[in-house]
Amino acid sequence: MDLDESFSSESSVDSDEELQEAFAAGKLRPGLNLELPASSKTINNTAGLNQTLLTIKKNLPWLERLDVTSKPATTHKDLISQSETDVHDDFKRELRFYCQAQATVLEAIPRLHSMSIPTKRPEDFFAQMAKSDDHMKRVREKLVEKQTAIERSEKAKKLRELRKYGKKVQIEVIQKRQKEKKEMLDAVKKYRKGQKDKLDFLENLPGEKKNSQNKKSADNLRPNKKREFKNKKFGFGGQKKRSKMNTKSSALDMSEFNPNINQKKPGKTGKGKPKPGNKNKRPGKARRQKAKSRKK
Amino acid sequence: KDQLFVINEMCEMRNCSKCIYLEAKKKQDLYMWLSNVPRGPSAKFLVENLHTMSELKMTGNCLKGSRPLLSFDQEFDKEAHWSLIKELLIQTFSTPNHHPKSQPFFDHVYTFSIADNRIWFRNYQILEEDGSLAEIGPRFVLNPIRIFEGSFGGPTLFQNPHYVSPNDLRHLMRKRGAQKYMSRIQAKKSLEMRRGQPSYETDPTDDVFVTIRPEDAEEDS
Repeated sequence: MDLDESFSSESSVDSDEELQEAFAAGKLRPGLNLELPASSKTINNTAGLNQTLLTIKKNLPWLERLDVTSKPATTHKDLISQSETDVHDDFKRELRFYCQAQATVLEAIPRLHSMSIPTKRPEDFFAQMAKSDDHMKRVREKLVEKQTAIERSEKAKKLRELRKYGKKVQIEVIQKRQKEKKEMLDAVKKYRKGQKDKLDFLENLPGEKKNSQNKKSADNLRPNKKREFKNKKFGFGGQKKRSKMNTKSSALDMSEFNPNINQKKPGKTGKGKPKPGNKNKRPGKARRQKAKSRKK
Repeated sequence: KDQLFVINEMCEMRNCSKCIYLEAKKKQDLYMWLSNVPRGPSAKFLVENLHTMSELKMTGNCLKGSRPLLSFDQEFDKEAHWSLIKELLIQTFSTPNHHPKSQPFFDHVYTFSIADNRIWFRNYQILEEDGSLAEIGPRFVLNPIRIFEGSFGGPTLFQNPHYVSPNDLRHLMRKRGAQKYMSRIQAKKSLEMRRGQPSYETDPTDDVFVTIRPEDAEEDS
């Protein structure tokens, strides 16, 4: 069979790696036969090349040509020796090109300066640029978009972390409260059973704080004044129809009367002279900063 | 092929000494000719990995018409064909001093490097004099095909042995699918041949009444 013959012949001659290399070099033709490079395929007329090079070579001063041959400048620790850089490693390859360009710049600019030629474009020199302003605007927008995307993702990450932390704190607080409740009940039970005659556990209650610090009092839970006024005026669709009736009770109603609006002299509103003791009510800058950082 | 000689005449009419001719074939492959027009050498390249200036990742910008600095890899001096190509590139891409259409300051640099037997081109804007750069312009890779002694023709001075034409590449890619069936059949055949003959005859019914002791069974699991 055909397959038998072809298989046995090539298994005895070529190894797998050679075949793979040949395929990569593009020498393989269908049928897995290795095509030998024909002698006519490579023409390298070195003498002819050198001859033509001499004929076309123009020995112009450097200023006309501005060419620099350089090897990559920086001893970047990513940049290993040239022979090791693989073409397919994009980052290293581009880095090598960048360093080569840098080396050229570092060589050419001082040379131009030594010939007293200005190299840097002054700020007020306006001329047509290779890319239009419109294009550059789009480039900038793209960059800004990328920045904001990064920032947004950072914020989201932080928020997630914060939520986890907050959840942990919440769990701790709940557990602490449960523990205290349990202790209180135990103490009460002991007292009832006569083991303890003193009522000291009632004195040092942990919940006793000043009222102003207890933020969740009923007063604070009401909506603010603006909201209340709007609710009264516009709540339930307005209620304009029955709001003003000239009845005895509405005529006697003095709740909407405020003498301070039109009956007092102007300039009487306001705090008046601040007393010298008032400054102490507001904590100073350092105290406020400390409280702020503690709250966070 | 005869159309290429027309380019010589056109250049003579316009008084040009160098010519870059880009031709696209099959709307897929781009070839670039770089030629010294009167009777000098010319080189044909295949352009690969082309990225134009309008890509938004290229953030640099430069004066239109400012003279470029040219940067060459050291590999260009090692072989005769690279040296010839280098001289052609220098003469083509460098702008003469005080050319009427050129701008005075130096703000961009062209980089030509050799990797994998190809020439890699990059165009960078010089942001700071101490060496920080931003990429501006197009980037492409030139794969040299041939170098001719004349302009757009003439005897071949150099033919690149590593060059595979894009048609051949596509051909090989297509054939690879066809190879799958053949290689599978051959793999099966090779397994059969490698398996060898059984060394002695065994009766499959010998295993039927073999009992494994519990200790041995546990060892296996």
